[in-house]
Amino acid sequence: MNRRTFWWFTIPSVIVMLALMVFPLITTVWLGFQKLLLRDLNNPEWVGWDNYRDVLSDPEFWAAVQFTLVFVVVTVPASMVFGLAVALLLDRIGRGRAIYMAALLLPFIVTPVVGTLIYEDLFERGGLVSWLWEVFTDDAFAVSASNVKVLIVVQYIWYVMPFAMITFFAGLQTLPEERVEAAALDGAGFWRNLWHVTLPHLRLLVVFVGLISVMDAYRVYDSVFVWTGNRFTEAHTLAVYNVRIATAFDIGRLGKGNAIAVLTVIGIFVVLIPFLWRSYRDQIAERT
Amino acid sequence: MSTVTLKNLVKDYPNGFRAITDLSLHLDDGEFLVLVGPSGCGKSTALRMIAGLEDITSGDIYVGDRRLNDVAPKDRDMAMVFQNYALYPQMTVAENIAFPLKLRRVPRAEREAQVRQAAEILELTEQLEKKPAHLSGGQRQRVAMGRAIVRHPALFLMDEPLSNLDAKLRVQMRADIAGIQRELGVTTFYVTHDQVEAMTMGDRVAVIKDGILQQVDTPEGIYGSPDNVFVAAFIGSPSMNLYEATLERHEEAGGDRYSVVLGDQRLAVPPEVFAERPALAEHLNRPVVVGIRPEHLEDAAVVADHPDDQRLDATVDVREALGAETLVHFNLSAPSVDSGDPDALDELRDSGRCTARFSASSTARVGDRARVNVDARHLHFFDRQTHLAIRS
Repeated sequence: MNRRTFWWFTIPSVIVMLALMVFPLITTVWLGFQKLLLRDLNNPEWVGWDNYRDVLSDPEFWAAVQFTLVFVVVTVPASMVFGLAVALLLDRIGRGRAIYMAALLLPFIVTPVVGTLIYEDLFERGGLVSWLWEVFTDDAFAVSASNVKVLIVVQYIWYVMPFAMITFFAGLQTLPEERVEAAALDGAGFWRNLWHVTLPHLRLLVVFVGLISVMDAYRVYDSVFVWTGNRFTEAHTLAVYNVRIATAFDIGRLGKGNAIAVLTVIGIFVVLIPFLWRSYRDQIAERT
Repeated sequence: MSTVTLKNLVKDYPNGFRAITDLSLHLDDGEFLVLVGPSGCGKSTALRMIAGLEDITSGDIYVGDRRLNDVAPKDRDMAMVFQNYALYPQMTVAENIAFPLKLRRVPRAEREAQVRQAAEILELTEQLEKKPAHLSGGQRQRVAMGRAIVRHPALFLMDEPLSNLDAKLRVQMRADIAGIQRELGVTTFYVTHDQVEAMTMGDRVAVIKDGILQQVDTPEGIYGSPDNVFVAAFIGSPSMNLYEATLERHEEAGGDRYSVVLGDQRLAVPPEVFAERPALAEHLNRPVVVGIRPEHLEDAAVVADHPDDQRLDATVDVREALGAETLVHFNLSAPSVDSGDPDALDELRDSGRCTARFSASSTARVGDRARVNVDARHLHFFDRQTHLAIRS
């Protein structure tokens, strides 16, 4: 392939990348150093590190960071373990497997906002959970600042579990039956078989699902927004907090919003370093 | 050390297919038994039932006096070698071999010693730190063997362990596995579709077809006196030539003479053949199945000293010079008999095709008219309806 052909093939994607990723990123960094209000977009003013100082001294930012990290640390392993367990069960079901699978995938298919609203309804006055709660405790159940974080986390696990499940289920279909049988004859029970045969086989999928899940959980927006709105701002994750700051209808501090966005991007890199390092090492190991 | 007894094993699949019918077998302590049969005959199913990987519909499996029907595979004290080796790809060779010991909580030092010993027997010492992906087929096969032998199990189960190897390696591993088994003295149940493996490795050979046991005997016994047409054709390579023929008796003053009519040719049969098999008299003047092993046919030009009435005329169709011997194919006008082997080539059925194993010094060429000596004392006779051997 000569140089000219090479450019003809690559230039379209380079243009798209520049227009949709590099340019907005640069703009974001630049805006982070401006004072810019939503109601007055034509007069940016260079303020240096002021926005960053402002963000880093905002207790709401740190609350959002903390909840986002807790959210990631809880939902990612939980949805993966749960997803694997369901995939293993599904793998053993002979008849009616398609029906179970469709039912299990439903939360993932329904639009997150709609799914969250349905789930939320269970806990509102007159909802099933709320009613059961009243039957057993004689107390009215109310969504509050103290329990909303738990509700958000549980709902999110229920919502993303199908992703891990369907991926692991696909992986299980490629596991050679003979290897499982060999381990059984070698003396492995269920747990040893899972640990020494099934999980090593799914290793790359576990890394893949982990990576995607961490990124998804880190930037979760819609379901948290539906739950909290402007009611429970202490349960805001970074993305919700970011949008709230940038679009608050009276002030709308775009400069500060962009500074948060930059910090968020840096944050995700920090979170992903172990994963990237791990997969880099695996690649090297695979080649030698 | 242990004996194995299978009592009236039956395996029905949910779709109604009966894979195994009333299989009873007994393995002596330290015996190497080969279960051989064509594809789809149920031999692997039988092995998997013994291993506990397949439910038993009815019947019993005993090792020693212990009934194993409801024992989990991991508690059966059996080691299995799979056709695809089924190694653990993320583990090194040493870890693969040590795995069953690790699961049995054997202390590390002892484990390492056993792995080293197994590796020495199998010539894997150089490969111990490698992953299976970096091994050749033969080496992987030996790792699978290693994983089986470190355990000193009550029983080895081997499911076509050599069929993924190339021909040369297969010959070598055949001898190696048989050698290791005899050295260790572990009772072995070996499944294959390859009758050469069955003949060369087994103390005894069990032939199975359509889930029904056909015959169990020593390799010599199976080869020399097959119980039915299927076994006769299945064991031996090239296969026994089988034809529909008629037996005739000619009463003469000096004693009766007998002959076999093969299409348009007549072959004299020595009277002692009939004397040894009185039951043959009931089949006189009726069609029977006659079997002739290729090595009982010889070029008359090579061995001239042969009764002239025990010869056939043939036109050579194909000649395969193998060096030590020459295989010659020709057609007889008698109809061939289908042995029921599903793996046999369809185009050979009903062709009258005959294969002879001539001495290498035979000069018969394609297209030549040849006289063929038949060693008529070694003819095999089978009932045309039941396909059972007529021996008594």
